[in-house]
Amino acid sequence: MKRWFIVAALAAIVAALSPSLFAQWPLWPIPGVPKGTDGKPNLTAPAPRTADGKPDFSGIWMRYDDPEPNGTPPGRPPLVKGGNAGVGFKDGLPFQPWAADLQKKRAAEGGLNDPDGLCLPQGPLQYHIDPQPLKIVQMPRQIFIIYESNYGFRTIYMDGRPLPPQGEPQPYWHGYSIGRWEGDTLVVESNNFHGVDPSQFHGVEPDGFHGVGWLDHRGSPYTEAMKLTERFRRVNYGELDIEFTVDDAKAYTRPFTVRVSQHVVADGSELIEFICHENQMFLKLTGRDNSGGPPR
Amino acid sequence: MTKSRGVYMKAKLAALLVGTGLLLAARPLVAHHAFAAEFDADKPITLTGAVTKIQWTNPHAWFYIDVKDETGTVTNWGLEMGSPNGLMRSGWTRNSMKLGEVVTVEASRAKNGSNSANAKAVTLKSTGQRLFAASSQQP
Repeated sequence: MKRWFIVAALAAIVAALSPSLFAQWPLWPIPGVPKGTDGKPNLTAPAPRTADGKPDFSGIWMRYDDPEPNGTPPGRPPLVKGGNAGVGFKDGLPFQPWAADLQKKRAAEGGLNDPDGLCLPQGPLQYHIDPQPLKIVQMPRQIFIIYESNYGFRTIYMDGRPLPPQGEPQPYWHGYSIGRWEGDTLVVESNNFHGVDPSQFHGVEPDGFHGVGWLDHRGSPYTEAMKLTERFRRVNYGELDIEFTVDDAKAYTRPFTVRVSQHVVADGSELIEFICHENQMFLKLTGRDNSGGPPR
Repeated sequence: MTKSRGVYMKAKLAALLVGTGLLLAARPLVAHHAFAAEFDADKPITLTGAVTKIQWTNPHAWFYIDVKDETGTVTNWGLEMGSPNGLMRSGWTRNSMKLGEVVTVEASRAKNGSNSANAKAVTLKSTGQRLFAASSQQP
């Protein structure tokens, strides 16, 4: 065999393999992955279903960077791209004036107080667009979403309980979430998020709110008044489509909907532990405390 | 072939391919942390030196190298890479780089002017292998 052919063949193999194949984390095959005639996972096979006939969202999912290179299909909300929730809208997001000011300030600082960098829980949309994977564990009465990044953890109650009244429980970083089925779509509603208090924003990031209320990596804010509706659809075995509707009249002049796409991780790799505060140099390099968080 | 043997073979194949020193595909596997708050993409720097310390830690791995300038003065530089998770998914292991090994690093300098930088790629002098550093500079 000629040398060029060996080199070309190896290069082709490398190009075809996902980087996760190189990982040293142990791989263990997932049972029930549909296979094509070539033995590879058939990602366009129908979505699996649970014993009660519902689509099964369980599995490891990873951000899908460019699922629609030809643009948004007609009638669908725009995709979030480049960490920017408003990129698909001609005029950006419909900010209230104070929220527009805060977003500009956060973006100008290069993400100095982005919760991702501060090792704090990210905003619910930030988690969906993070390049670290997430894991969905689906059970009949509740669904867990575990985010590798910063160990985010959400519980979606599927037992018929209502959302608690707005402002009644203490606000949660991950909000309070309930879910229901509309056909094959899982509809998740959430409220009581820990968000920015606009009455405390006077042109600078309020003390005590560092890392709080970041919808995206551009610093688009949300408040405790945010009502979030997520519509999860498992399009097929390999793809998860999430419509994400923000209704927060304190920060935005009208509700808006964006979309995130995820692809399944079917090679048997798993989430890997991520202990964010182990060696936090970010605060040191940005001139802040290195022992317990940003200055208060 | 049993399932576990299949995994083993896959791991062996991966090791073989890494061993060939082929360029690994660069993908934005880790965007952790606000790159722009810490580092300046307009201040690229290339540094060569021997590795003096390796911290295989979250949220970012760091390594340190002694860099000698034209006058013979030695300066110790700290280089940030991605998280251990991102590095593993990009083909690194914690043994990919060894203490004392001479490496060349393509990086972006810290905004605070210290001898710190964010590594984009690391080339091992011993093998010529160039590894991407799962940098948070990638979008």
